Amino acid sequence: MPQDVEKAVAEAIQAVLHDTGREVKQVGTEMLLAADLGLDSLDLAQTVVLLERALGKDPFREASASRTVRTVGDLAAVYKQALASSGGVAN
Amino acid sequence: MDAADRFTAPLDTPADERLAYVISGVAAGNPGKPAILADAGAPHRRSISYADLVGSIARLEQRLNEEHPRGVIARVRRPESLVVIAAACGRQGTPVAFLADDSLALTHDLREWVEVDDALAVPSVPPAARWPEGMEVAVPHVTVATSGTAGPPKLIRHSWESVLAAARLASQWHGLSWLMVYDATRWAGIQVWAQALLTGGTLVIPASRDPDTVAKALVEEGVSMLPATPTLLRRLLTSADPALLERNALTRITLGGEAADAALLERAHEVFPRATITQVYATTELGEVYRVADGKPGFPAAWIGTRLQSGATLMVRRDGELFVRVSRDAVDAGTGDLVERQDDRYVFTGRRTDAIIVGGAKVFPKRVEEVIREVPGVAEARVFGVPSSVTGELVAAEITLAPPADSDAVKAAMKSTVLSYCRQVLEAQSVPRMLEIVDTIATTTAGKTPRRP
Repeated sequence: MPQDVEKAVAEAIQAVLHDTGREVKQVGTEMLLAADLGLDSLDLAQTVVLLERALGKDPFREASASRTVRTVGDLAAVYKQALASSGGVAN
Repeated sequence: MDAADRFTAPLDTPADERLAYVISGVAAGNPGKPAILADAGAPHRRSISYADLVGSIARLEQRLNEEHPRGVIARVRRPESLVVIAAACGRQGTPVAFLADDSLALTHDLREWVEVDDALAVPSVPPAARWPEGMEVAVPHVTVATSGTAGPPKLIRHSWESVLAAARLASQWHGLSWLMVYDATRWAGIQVWAQALLTGGTLVIPASRDPDTVAKALVEEGVSMLPATPTLLRRLLTSADPALLERNALTRITLGGEAADAALLERAHEVFPRATITQVYATTELGEVYRVADGKPGFPAAWIGTRLQSGATLMVRRDGELFVRVSRDAVDAGTGDLVERQDDRYVFTGRRTDAIIVGGAKVFPKRVEEVIREVPGVAEARVFGVPSSVTGELVAAEITLAPPADSDAVKAAMKSTVLSYCRQVLEAQSVPRMLEIVDTIATTTAGKTPRRP
């Protein structure tokens, strides 16, 4: 399951890079969303919508304080936590 | 055109009796003249003459006269039934309701009314549900369901006077053939059939909304008048067989319900070179405000602040919303339409309520659709907002291709082309983040492009 989430996150980011006409690079866990991948808030918004379609969950819809999402790994962790608390991938 | 085609009602004929009066008059002079060509463009096309209508109207009137129902709800499939019910109820002073498919459940407002279907039989009415003997119905009226674009459908009661107010009765409008692309039970559709039949014309109703069927109906019946929304006209222009459309005999296209853009107006002029293209600006509350026939989008900037032929005066508020002043003492009415000055014109940028809010910035779908449609190979486009937990909303789009593509590689290439063109022309927040190639784009029941997911 964790691998699946990381894979889904990487694929969503690559889809966003592709749709926005940028080079589709390998996405690593340690990469910074903004500095390394060049994602802005619109890119993140699209990534989150794509992930909601892939994983059936949008953790950012639930208000949560002080969540720092700087790296690809941080983003994947947010989804892992949300999926764990809801008992798996919702359909 | 013979004399019978020029028959119309004297201006002092009461509005509620006008339809029956004209239908009888045309039938008297030319009984076989087609009033309605139904299922046009298909093998099962039917022709209903003015004399056919007169016979049905007389039978229905007799039953209404015997039963005196409080009102009649038309639950019909056939357009000729609708016309017969309207004419008979009008002349008998019986209130009538036209209910579209999505408003059949609203009849609780019409308690004790009787339902009349395509058989045109009036059920027996118990004495308690009749109009009291000898008592006149105060004002015979027509109940129509709203299209429900701005909320669930509602029933609205209109006088016959207001239903028929926009019909053009001068002799230049007599005996023409009108293509009906609207739902005949709704306001826009009622306007078209009333116009055709009040002027001794022929109403041509395509068997379906499929573009090739509409084009066949248009060409095979030699239709001269086409009232439509820009969305329905665009569908005809982008999706119907061009060789078929070439043989059209259109002399007038009347666009309403939505704003038309320059690309559509130009294309319509190319395909229908002999047709005058008129854009009508009307609102539900105010009726017709202006019509413009110069083939350009929007309206002349010089019109702002001057009294128009309709008696209305246009104003633009600082935020760009178009306001209409009907009379000196009436409150200025906001239209919800936003306009922008471009040289000597004001053009429509979108409806205030259509705005997609992306990270606090407003995106107007109409503009994005216009840009997408500039890409060669794109037929139609629909742009709408989808909710986003990050930016509030994101811009999403659906497009159809002409010619349609089956191959995934072609589709993927088109998507990239559209997105890359949008990035060149539009601000970042306006570029669609969700783009889907679909087979058809749904239209609203009023023939407009829907702006919600």
